[in-house]
Amino acid sequence: MRLFTRRTGLALALIAALGLAAFWLLSAPRPLTAADVPGHTPDLANGKILYHAGGCISCHQPSPELAGVENTVPAGGAPLHTPVGTLYPMNLTPDAATGIGQWTDLQFLNAVMRGISPEGENLIPALPYTSYAHMKPEDVLDIRAYLASLPPVTSPEQEADITALPLIRRGVGLWKWVGLDTTPWKPDPAQSESWNRGSYLVNGPGHCQECHTPRNVFMALDESRAFAGGPHPEGKGKVPSLRGLIERGRYTDAADLASALKDGEAMGYDGLASGGMGQVQRNISQLPESDIQAIADYIASLK
Amino acid sequence: MVSKIAMGLFTAGVLALGLSSAAMADAKASIEAREACMKANGAMMKVMVPVIKGQKPYDKAANDAAIAAAEAACAGWAGWWGEDTKPGGDLKTEAKAEIWTDPAGFEAAGGAYMKAVAAVKASADEASFKAAFPDLGKSCQGCHEKFRQADQ
Ligand code: HEC
Ligand code: HEC
Ligand code: HEC
Repeated sequence: MRLFTRRTGLALALIAALGLAAFWLLSAPRPLTAADVPGHTPDLANGKILYHAGGCISCHQPSPELAGVENTVPAGGAPLHTPVGTLYPMNLTPDAATGIGQWTDLQFLNAVMRGISPEGENLIPALPYTSYAHMKPEDVLDIRAYLASLPPVTSPEQEADITALPLIRRGVGLWKWVGLDTTPWKPDPAQSESWNRGSYLVNGPGHCQECHTPRNVFMALDESRAFAGGPHPEGKGKVPSLRGLIERGRYTDAADLASALKDGEAMGYDGLASGGMGQVQRNISQLPESDIQAIADYIASLK
Repeated sequence: MVSKIAMGLFTAGVLALGLSSAAMADAKASIEAREACMKANGAMMKVMVPVIKGQKPYDKAANDAAIAAAEAACAGWAGWWGEDTKPGGDLKTEAKAEIWTDPAGFEAAGGAYMKAVAAVKASADEASFKAAFPDLGKSCQGCHEKFRQADQ
């Protein structure tokens, strides 16, 4: 008996084609449109705060080959190692040729809040747009305005060392259906103003959950175990839980946690440097005291 | 007669057992020594930070005692980094693989710490202590950022 007849062959080909078409459609980016760009007068000071809260410099470090560029300038090009390969996050200074000087506001919003490049490709979620998606677009435009105020640096974009990158980008498009939640952040009226500010900073720009929340089988954040800690997303070591930090005696109270986040290990606190946390802590230390306290108030309330 | 042979075999067996677990015991002892050294450093910070924060008066003798305790606890440092103490083995450690792949970087991080400890030790009054301390605190953070990984 011939199992594989011409008919079944055709049917299989058809199913494969449909599958491919579905993959293509489902993996296509779903961008924001011009209607989503708010009319907004940029606030540079706010942009600077959110730039630090967002930790852009942690990943957009200047390439070691750029002579004379301080490592506080997000000129990009330094290697960022991820489990899928090495990326060289780009130059965020307003240089017209190699930076984001020529970008439109919509292009910037789509990159940061939806993970879509100006060329319409899906970006690798090493850029934590999964958290930035919850931000207020006005705040993201303020970051843009702050970046535009920096001196331009020439730092050409470097191709990532990732095999089958175009296919992976398509795969990311598919993954976005389960992995990218674009619900805007909402305040909890039952909580204090400081707690709500902290909740916004932590869950939006601060992207604390990207490391501190474990992932489910789809590699999406498992919100039922939010902040419970788990394997490090970069593949080495672990990330501690942020639940019950006060109850477990890690910090005496929210004020102690705030000073830990402000001063870090340099002032005798332990467990705030390895696995990328040192960079996060340095970025947090750039925020106004009230914002650091707000982050601590929110984190201290996690049970 | 029999008992003599039996005893011989028994001792040989014990010796063989002892030998095979000797390496393991060494690795375990190394990791425990590292942790004890680091705990002494943590204790040293607990003596110094309250003075920096203005919560306790300056006390040179207390600083010196804390430094001496850390120095004593860390004296064997150079011998604690055998291949069998790397992460990913049977033994729990917060050491990161980079210690073995970037020995020059690890040594430099240790050097920054030694230099900072020496400066604090040499400080004779409150003002010079407060000037020397920040480099010490940064040296802990600097080494941990690259060469330690959380294991909770
Ligand atoms: C945890 C690391 C990380 C952080 C933090 C981060 N980025 Fe990135 N960023 C990346 C990576 C990786 C890419 C490249 C992604 C790719 O090529 O798919 C990238 C790319 C970009 C791009 C370019 C997209 C393109 O089309 O090439 C922009 C713009 C950008 N990031 C802005 C920001 C801003 C603004 C912040 C701070 C609010 C930020 N990033 C924080 C890792 C990061
Ligand atoms: C790049 C991954 C990463 C991100 C992003 C991140 N953390 Fe962490 N965090 C860690 C790791 C890893 C540790 C453990 C560090 C250690 O033990 O040396 C840690 C430790 C901590 C601790 C200490 C926990 C304890 O038991 O004492 C606090 C508090 C903390 N993080 C808060 C935050 C906050 C707030 C944010 C967001 C603003 C954040 N983290 C974002 C990786 C991250
Ligand atoms: C040259 C590198 C280096 C320097 C400098 C350093 N540490 Fe460490 N520290 C480590 C490593 C590596 C570990 C993990 C050891 C292990 O688990 O095997 C560690 C672990 C620790 C621990 C956890 C110990 C435990 O109970 O398991 C504490 C606390 C600590 N360090 C405090 C400090 C303080 C405080 C300083 C500065 C005064 C400091 N360290 C300087 C490398 C360093």
